Amino acid sequence: MKQTGSIKALLVKHEMILLWVIAVEVILFQVLGQNFLTAGNVSNIFRHSAEIGLLALVMTPVILTGGIDLSVGSLMGLCAVVFGMLVKVYGLDPLVAAGLTVLVGALGGGLNAGLVAGMGLRPLIVTLGTFSLFRGLAEALTHGSKSYSGFSDGFLALGNSDILGVPAQIWIVLVVGIVIWFLVHHTTYGRSLRAIGYGEEGARYAGLPVKRNISITYVMAGAVAGLAAVILVSRLGEARANAGMGYELLAITAVVLGGVSIFGGAGNVSGAVLGWIALAILNNGLTRISDYEILGEKVSSVARELSGLLTGLLLIAALALAICMKMLAAKRSAKQT
Amino acid sequence: MKRYSRELTVGGALVLLMISLAIFAPNFFDTQPMISRLASQMPALILALGVALVIITRQIDVSIGSQFGMCAVIAGTAAAAGVPMPLAMLCALVAGALMGAANGWLVAGLGLPSIVVTLATMVIWQEVLRLWQKGLLLSLPDGVQWFGMSQGTGQAMVIGSTLLILVLMAWAMKNLSSGRRIYATGSDAEAARLAGLAPKATTFWVFLLMGVLAGVGAALNLVQSPQIQPNSGEGLELKAIAAAVVGGIAITGGRGTLWGVLLGMMLLANVNPALTHFHQPPYWEKAIQGLVILLAVAADGIRIKKQKHLK
Repeated sequence: MKQTGSIKALLVKHEMILLWVIAVEVILFQVLGQNFLTAGNVSNIFRHSAEIGLLALVMTPVILTGGIDLSVGSLMGLCAVVFGMLVKVYGLDPLVAAGLTVLVGALGGGLNAGLVAGMGLRPLIVTLGTFSLFRGLAEALTHGSKSYSGFSDGFLALGNSDILGVPAQIWIVLVVGIVIWFLVHHTTYGRSLRAIGYGEEGARYAGLPVKRNISITYVMAGAVAGLAAVILVSRLGEARANAGMGYELLAITAVVLGGVSIFGGAGNVSGAVLGWIALAILNNGLTRISDYEILGEKVSSVARELSGLLTGLLLIAALALAICMKMLAAKRSAKQT
Repeated sequence: MKRYSRELTVGGALVLLMISLAIFAPNFFDTQPMISRLASQMPALILALGVALVIITRQIDVSIGSQFGMCAVIAGTAAAAGVPMPLAMLCALVAGALMGAANGWLVAGLGLPSIVVTLATMVIWQEVLRLWQKGLLLSLPDGVQWFGMSQGTGQAMVIGSTLLILVLMAWAMKNLSSGRRIYATGSDAEAARLAGLAPKATTFWVFLLMGVLAGVGAALNLVQSPQIQPNSGEGLELKAIAAAVVGGIAITGGRGTLWGVLLGMMLLANVNPALTHFHQPPYWEKAIQGLVILLAVAADGIRIKKQKHLK
């Protein structure tokens, strides 16, 4: 009983820390940057990071089981190209094409699921393989350079308009978020994910359908990667093979930053969401700073490189912090007994 | 025989590829282009040898492509600033060692999972490189290409030194206690610890050695062209990992030989030239690479399952 209490306290603490991080970010960028806290920019922060939010949401169940999915960014590239071809080459209605694209994503996730859950292979190398495979298929389909653009206004509105003052795609993130939150925290399926992440063998002996439940997490990740690809194409107005490149890292960073244990078994969806928001603010905030220079360049003009660099550092820092907290907790409980 | 079944399969596939090339595209074997191609494949082979050790210790390093790029640009910048060639190459090795040590400390010292750590350092070095070089080509001074010698001698030196490293490493893995430690750490870290083998230290040194090899690869790449692209290492990590896994390095650790890695690299590296010689578009390289990784890993999975059934 005490154990769960202290872990809960730690998690609550973790989310408080994240809220503080977000607050510090907001203050810092408001002071250093231009037009940071304007309605237009705040809506941009969310609009430009909706795809990563989606990926972070579906990466959470995967990591809870102790797995990882490195292929979601590449799958976005494949799905973007498939979507572009369905609409521009085969003349399908964007809505139908979007449905098929999500299906393609689910199939891609299914391949991961089959290899990881079905054959019992390590998710890291499986998804590293599909990382290369999916991106390679996207490049092969477009001959390395072709891109599809000229989509209808109705479709482009999904990525570039507001509904009730909120970017349209954020409503989708919200729906996916609620579904994932409900699944993870209010169903036996969600409980089983943690059990699997905590000890797969034990979960199997307890009679949990381990293979099926792990499979579902990868298929979900694939399907939502397809959805994210459609949203990205709509926002950019262009479908090309390099869509979503590096997004897997951003999604993993958001989830780990959110306090989900990379070893599986512990963490929650609200943490991952906060992690995503902290990352989104970082990415946007740097583009707002044009009064300051770094290495002889305006911060805003090297914001992409800087935010990549900081994302990497943040990921390592978050991991190290999680390990240190774990060690401290272990020491404390050792003292108590 | 059974122990080396993977090496035999991959070797057989390689022979088949070569025979079909000899029949259908004999100019694939024109001496000069073939030597050039071979020399250009050597840096990736060096990386594959390094990452093979990392995988044998049951870890992974996806930052090696970025490390390679950093080392290349550091050595190139030094050479362009007039630093003598051997010293410039040493710079690459030292830079690689430092980057490898950083990974090693985070993985072995702090106990963080190597996939996430190296994913992070991959992006960090890549972005540092972008901030530093802004994507510009770096021209090298005259004396650098082919070590300042004729192209033939230079190519021979690149190929020769790579093979020397391969032979040394393969010998050490088989005969030195440090080599056996790497296998022991990968097959069961806890047992290795109980046997007093210090698996953490082994893991650290393997990551450090990986960095040094990234530096060696970068140096051997540097001498092959009059300029370097800052993104020269992009995608190399996958090529190296694919070669290692295809060559029979088990992703579950503790298993595989460096000779297998050589075969794996030769097979994979010749897929793309073979495609062009068969008049096929080269866009499929990445997809084939991914597929080959999956096949190799699946084959391993089936082998392990069979063993379990036998028990």
